[in-house]
Amino acid sequence: MWGDRLRQPLLQRNGKQEPVSWDEALDCVAVRLKQLLAAGKPVGVLGSARATNEENYLAGKFARVGLGTNNLGFSYYSICAPLLAGVEEVCGTPAATLRLNDIASSQVILLIEGDLAETHPRAAGSVLQAVENGAHLITIGCRETQMARVASLHLQTAPGDEYEVIHELSAAVADLGQGRPSVSIRNDAGQQDLEQHFGSLACLQAAEWITRAERAAFLIPPTCGEENRQWKTAAAFTALAAITGHLNRPGSGVLPLLARSNARGACETAVVHNRLPGFERLDDSRSRQRLEDLWGKKLPSAPGWDAEMLLQSVSGLVVVADDPPSVMPIGQKAMTALGRLEFMVVLDAFATPTARIAHALLPISSFAETEGTFTNMEGRVQKLRPATNAPGEARPGWQVLAELCARFDAAASYDSAADVLREIGQAAPQYVGIEQRLAKAGWSGALLEDSAKQKLRIPPAETIAFASLRSAERPHLLALDPAFDWGSDPLVFFSPTLSRDFRSQRKAFPNGFVEIAQEDADELQVRSGRRVRLTSVQGAATVPALVRDDLNHGQLIVPFVFRDHVSNVLGSDSVTAVRIERA
Amino acid sequence: MALAIEKKAVSGWLERLLKLGEVIAPTRTPTGDVLFSNIRSGSDVAWNLPNPLHPPKEFVLPQTDPLVQIKRNGQHHEVEAIHDGRRRFLVNARSCDVKGIAFLTRMHEMEPADASYLRRSNNLTIISLACATPCPSGFCICTDSGPFLSDSYDVQLTDLDKSYLIEVGSAKGEAAVAEAQGLFRKASEDEVSQRKRLEETAKHHFGNETCHFASAMRRISTGRVPDILWEKMSDWCLECGGCNVICPTCYCFSVKDLGRDGVWVRCRLRDSCQYAAFTLEASGHNPRPEKKDRMKRRFFHKVSAQYYTRDGAVGCVGCGRCVQVCLGATHMPAVVAAIRKGSWHE
Amino acid sequence: MNDVFLPDLACLTGLCDETPDTRTFRLRFRDSSKVKDFRFLPGQFIELSVFGYGEAPFCIASSPTRPEALETTVRRTGQLTDALHQLGEGNEVGVRGPFGNGFDVAAAEGKDLLFVAGGIGLPPLRSLIWNVLDERSRFGKVTILYGARTPADLVYKRELDEWGKRSDVEFRVTADSAQPGWSGAVGVVPTLFRKVDLRPKTSLAYVCGPPIMIKIVVQDLVALGFKEEAIISTLERMMQCGIGKCNHCAIGHRYVCRDGPVFSYGQIKELVD
Repeated sequence: MWGDRLRQPLLQRNGKQEPVSWDEALDCVAVRLKQLLAAGKPVGVLGSARATNEENYLAGKFARVGLGTNNLGFSYYSICAPLLAGVEEVCGTPAATLRLNDIASSQVILLIEGDLAETHPRAAGSVLQAVENGAHLITIGCRETQMARVASLHLQTAPGDEYEVIHELSAAVADLGQGRPSVSIRNDAGQQDLEQHFGSLACLQAAEWITRAERAAFLIPPTCGEENRQWKTAAAFTALAAITGHLNRPGSGVLPLLARSNARGACETAVVHNRLPGFERLDDSRSRQRLEDLWGKKLPSAPGWDAEMLLQSVSGLVVVADDPPSVMPIGQKAMTALGRLEFMVVLDAFATPTARIAHALLPISSFAETEGTFTNMEGRVQKLRPATNAPGEARPGWQVLAELCARFDAAASYDSAADVLREIGQAAPQYVGIEQRLAKAGWSGALLEDSAKQKLRIPPAETIAFASLRSAERPHLLALDPAFDWGSDPLVFFSPTLSRDFRSQRKAFPNGFVEIAQEDADELQVRSGRRVRLTSVQGAATVPALVRDDLNHGQLIVPFVFRDHVSNVLGSDSVTAVRIERA
Repeated sequence: MALAIEKKAVSGWLERLLKLGEVIAPTRTPTGDVLFSNIRSGSDVAWNLPNPLHPPKEFVLPQTDPLVQIKRNGQHHEVEAIHDGRRRFLVNARSCDVKGIAFLTRMHEMEPADASYLRRSNNLTIISLACATPCPSGFCICTDSGPFLSDSYDVQLTDLDKSYLIEVGSAKGEAAVAEAQGLFRKASEDEVSQRKRLEETAKHHFGNETCHFASAMRRISTGRVPDILWEKMSDWCLECGGCNVICPTCYCFSVKDLGRDGVWVRCRLRDSCQYAAFTLEASGHNPRPEKKDRMKRRFFHKVSAQYYTRDGAVGCVGCGRCVQVCLGATHMPAVVAAIRKGSWHE
Repeated sequence: MNDVFLPDLACLTGLCDETPDTRTFRLRFRDSSKVKDFRFLPGQFIELSVFGYGEAPFCIASSPTRPEALETTVRRTGQLTDALHQLGEGNEVGVRGPFGNGFDVAAAEGKDLLFVAGGIGLPPLRSLIWNVLDERSRFGKVTILYGARTPADLVYKRELDEWGKRSDVEFRVTADSAQPGWSGAVGVVPTLFRKVDLRPKTSLAYVCGPPIMIKIVVQDLVALGFKEEAIISTLERMMQCGIGKCNHCAIGHRYVCRDGPVFSYGQIKELVD
């Protein structure tokens, strides 16, 4: 029954992956990585948002102390970093200031979404509870989703334009005599351009609800658009919460909606190229000193390459519990880059595409077979307890990483995952004492304390030149849906019942598809399945169309899983203006 | 003829049963959950626990149920049915769960009878405790599955403070009692009357809420629930499938061969009719493409007259688990009420 | 009670390509006593296992009057059928069944029988057609109308010729669009109606093919005077267990694997999900 589970260490020999003993595999990994280091070749480590805190922490320790590098990252960070940076800009920390349980008792919820019911059903359930109790839900998004339909107010927004909406809401708040607008927008001609998307009444109503509420929830996922825009959007959103008094009030706050179980944990154990455990800044000398004392070694001071860069720049790579090509925006480019590595060692429970081309493959336990912790987006640290044995010779990931650390003079000795967690408590300030707190806690784990109240920084008034992406020549907006592609995640992919939907969609559309509004389809006279040509300044691509009745005229969306099919069109951005024609 | 057993003698009875097979009861885990799990000694059963969130259907219809072992052997294959004939006693189950398992058994007895299921259910004896104080989210009185049962049980206990009244309802129940004959005595008339009074009191705990099943059943069975109502309700469903996992009468499944390299196990995998691809055909056509279609299907299967006639019972035992679990509050009582009123959240 | 998920083993003893993507497989049970015991009705189906890929329902395309020639005709549409097409003579598959209600052959006695098939819809009817032809004297006039998108898409090409040559069968074939070398009729299947002597009052009509074709054919037959109970078709649904328990193929409280797959048009109209 263990069909797709990795059971034995494998080494690549003559183009095939052959089973070997653990000792042989670990020895080989140590030898090859040391060879690369001796030759001065760059190496890197990727942790994962689906690895435990213990695994990520040891991966980071292995990189910094064992390999002496900050070439350290995790695939999902490419997606969520700008969101977290924006929140951090205002609050001083990217941590959530709102708990999931607070949502249900909110009186107003401001939600930027792709499709919350799809991406975060638990949060969506709380939103529904709040609405049932009379809360006003305001949704900002490009689709008429479930949340939009139960909302008091749905502000239909083109992908990437969330920033404009937040600005209008902030302006409306100012109009109500509360706070001050944080930015003003000028277009290329230097004129104030308050393009009325919805009519100021809607924004005034929303502003009124938000400012009058005792408890308001602000929910934001990674949005569309290039990095800077996402960052500014998140910062403006957080600033809106701040100027309406909802950032330091119990029951109110901002919740960055991260996907995958341990994205936040990966940040806080800092498998990140320019951070230290605790998500402290790399140049924070006190943090660095604390860690150098703890780990007994001087740490590299210069930031390393981030996850996407390091994949394409290193010669040697350690990958823990992830499949970068299916998570990173660079998609197929990541697969190509992996194929060019001199030496790649993968630790995983599942035979992912990345695992299949590893030079060394080390089988580790899944979440149901290991001890460990993970930290969800609201800062709740939960414990995993083994419910069953791992198949074959698979071992707990933390153990394997500890072994690797030992071979590189980078480990203390750990008798249990709890030992690792205790050390995390010494390395990351938020996790102080977490091990004892969890020992006494039930399934609901322990919430990380809210970080010390920092002075809020409202971004100064700025002129942001924004060129309307659309033009007469390219009147449509093509956006990449940033929602996490669960269909590629092993827990779904290898489940016969859960994967049926995704597999059949990919079978029906092996060349991907672009979602198109009914009105646009009618104009073009195309039906679902008919190929269309998309042309931007960057390039062109031809893909089948899929007609949807929940999109607005002019909006074209490509699901994240199909990004490679439109990479010529999008370039390095995730929103661009296009011309669309029948192919 | 009703029997009785002193409470302090019960662990002795359970010790006898432990010699014959596995004994399963609700137990509180170190993390504070209440789960049906194996007990090791007769004194391990705690009688005052809330009903576990996961129903005991796992013991007759496991989530992943190995059915057939398949081995490739050159050009040929060897296939062998996997038999699970363990004898088990489920102790301190509630009336709703007794009815739930009886429902599942009827489904799998229907021609052609499924040996894999029946081997397990035939070897499972349920010693249930009638609910003198019904649980907060339950509505078993509306589905004729509690708080006390008059049929479908093996052994029904009623808590009479220092003793339990014992009602035996089947041959399996008789066998379980026969194992510890010396511990039982004939129940007195007082004890029998007390049991009847406890039942009446328990029924009154449900208050005067009329049961909406009848009118909902009429409308569902005659296609008189407006499509727009299903659409509105489906906006509140998150398609998590939680209802299917915890419902004692849900049994939809898929059959898959799991394994690789010439060795497979054909397994029954419990499935959810709420998932989009449940009815997806190889051609790509899906007869139930919208969530509202699937929601409508679920409630037709549970509450229609057509199924009631076929099965002899409504597909709900009023255990209230869906009320606890549903993220969107589109659980049985809410939907049934909405169908009666003809509106949702208005 | 039976181990209802336990497959019987059978090997492939004859493979015949009908079209570029459709092949007929003949099955021989490894256990020879099973050959006798496997009694089925035309219109029933089997759950066929390609070990390592899974199981899927396929209609039995051969007649119970020829038990030694148990056959199914399968088109390549996905992973499992691809894998099946990779198998060759002597390879082993699993078989569960027969399942479903099948055609009511006794009810057809003495009646005139009209078979209307389109494309890949012929295989399920073929089991009944050969049953009828093998016991020809039991039945009245037999008319077979068959069509496909192109001549290359016609299945059982040799048998079509046979039927065309028989004097006790009226057989007409057509293609939606012609190809060089095609001397038969051109046009969709319903265009064949005016070429034959239909007897609505005394006939049973069996219709099988793509949904759109069935819809039009049924409309035409009703207009021509066929009663709704006399028009018989088969339904398809996603299936897993084949025995009415997994609920995948349910339409309302009817199960396509048990109450069907054969239904009259009157019954189909009553099926409400």
